[in-house]
Amino acid sequence: MSDSKDFSIAEEILRLRISQMIINEYYKRGAFQIPIHLAMGHEAIAVALDSIMSDEDSLVLPHRNIHYNLARARSLKPIIDEFLLSVDGLAHGELGSMNLANPKRGIVYTSSILGNNLSLATGLALAKKIRASDEVTIVVTGDGAMEEGTFYESLLFMKSFNLASLVIIENNGWSMHTSIPERRCAINVSAFAGSLDIPYAHLTGNDTYAYIDRLRSVRNSAIKSMSPVLVEVDLTTLGGWYTEVENNPKGRFIHPHAGPVPTVTENMRMPIENSVSDPLFVLKKYFTGDRLFEAEQAISADLHAEVETL
Amino acid sequence: MRYIDCINNLLQKETAASEGLVIFGQNVAAGSHISGMTKALSVGRGGRILNTTNSENTLANIGFGLMLGGVSSIFFMKQQDFLLLGIDPLVNTYNFIRRRQQLASYTIFFIVVDSGYQGLQSSMNGFGDICSIARVPGFTIQAKADAEAIIGAHLITPGFRIIGISQRLMQQEIIDREALYINESKSLFQYSKGDRATIACFNFSLPYGLKLEQQLLQNGISASLFGVNAVTPIDWTPIVADALHTGRLIIIDDCKSENRSSDSLSVATYHGGQCRIEFISRSFAGDWLSPQKDELVIDYDSIVALIAQHQTV
Repeated sequence: MSDSKDFSIAEEILRLRISQMIINEYYKRGAFQIPIHLAMGHEAIAVALDSIMSDEDSLVLPHRNIHYNLARARSLKPIIDEFLLSVDGLAHGELGSMNLANPKRGIVYTSSILGNNLSLATGLALAKKIRASDEVTIVVTGDGAMEEGTFYESLLFMKSFNLASLVIIENNGWSMHTSIPERRCAINVSAFAGSLDIPYAHLTGNDTYAYIDRLRSVRNSAIKSMSPVLVEVDLTTLGGWYTEVENNPKGRFIHPHAGPVPTVTENMRMPIENSVSDPLFVLKKYFTGDRLFEAEQAISADLHAEVETL
Repeated sequence: MRYIDCINNLLQKETAASEGLVIFGQNVAAGSHISGMTKALSVGRGGRILNTTNSENTLANIGFGLMLGGVSSIFFMKQQDFLLLGIDPLVNTYNFIRRRQQLASYTIFFIVVDSGYQGLQSSMNGFGDICSIARVPGFTIQAKADAEAIIGAHLITPGFRIIGISQRLMQQEIIDREALYINESKSLFQYSKGDRATIACFNFSLPYGLKLEQQLLQNGISASLFGVNAVTPIDWTPIVADALHTGRLIIIDDCKSENRSSDSLSVATYHGGQCRIEFISRSFAGDWLSPQKDELVIDYDSIVALIAQHQTV
């Protein structure tokens, strides 16, 4: 166990998870009219990015953005209000979930269209260069969106015009309900980045503390070399389940895409999975179960108090 | 002066005076400079001119990214149909951005391939098609008066718009007629006032309208002539009022689209009162996909005879 690690980072991981579990319960009750893409299991990269962003960095998000929005907003109620399309929402009920941005906290733009945010981020990065800013543009995409042509086009432009940027690929192995082997050949992202002379970093293991150190280094490298850096993050969208399928006794695995996650309940003990697939499980490397449980209880009580007026 | 030289001169003047402007696109500062469109362009202090990759989808969205970053830009494109690769930003990004007043300007400026013998790519010559998909503000340039008004008012100003010019007209002398009336948004121009017919020209059909106006005049028939330089919404009142006065509206639209703003004028005039409406548009009876002359065919004599006969009756 380690006392040297900043426990507030662990508390952030817990806050993002419990917040999503509360949203999941609202979702199950039919409270939302809009599609929401939950991201339980994605908390490590969100908290790490939030930790290393400067005030002037720009973050550009895809449709599955709840973890970043929760991290940057620092609170739950404005997010739920937004999902309820209330004027009290984070974007006054104008954006819902798939386009939810928060410019005051650096989330300049969010797109529901795969790949759209990559090219937008390229323009933002160009604007920063023209305005002689030494900050970076960070864009988050996924293993599905990297199949779009604009993934290549944007990286080509970023590299050709020396734009300091981080391109984060959240690789959860799924695009809606088809896994990578079901829909395409494997992509060697490192080799692809190398073909454009773009630095590549691979984050795996859901260790937020390690991610923070690595991302801080990668960000500095992007600024110093005036280049995009491709960061591939292995993660699992937690809560998948099996449905009965004819001629297949095991059933068909359903990957959580949009909608509530029926397998996750608010009163279940955490982590959801006892493996490195769950960032909360990884926290046990650094902190005792008792300490994490106490924090979980306190954070849960605070979050419920925050949303009790809804 | 040639159409393309007039436009290039106006672009030179506007861009040189704009500080921090980014001009980008394929061959904007190389080779023929996009058929002379971007020849000798310069930008004010802090600006850039970038010859870019061939990545229309990404390039179309880069202008929006620059806009969100507070930087004004113009994306010059060789052909309108190249922008088909960049439709998504025109809808999804623009719909996000238009929710708030932007301080920066973004203009996509392209050539509509309507010159003939281009084959498959020329099946799309309707400027309004691109604008229609998300109600994007857009303007065609047909003459010197509208070139000066549109480039002067819209090229570099907060917000987003598209401006299209005609490849068919590029080498021709630019129409140099003083406008009697220009609406506030620079989307409707009136070039003459007559008593017996009202001619409204859409897309890039002003030269056809001018020719008809002259032939009518030679036969003692005076006509009002309008150029419509944008898709709807346009307040049609000036044209409808004129058509109700003359009793006959002749709409000329050279675009190949199924979705024409000229139809909107036709409906507005129909509901406005008693008026005969003639619609001159493309025929798709033959092989319209293979390379060919690809021009709007108008039987001017028949139209003149029709109007003369109606007046006699």
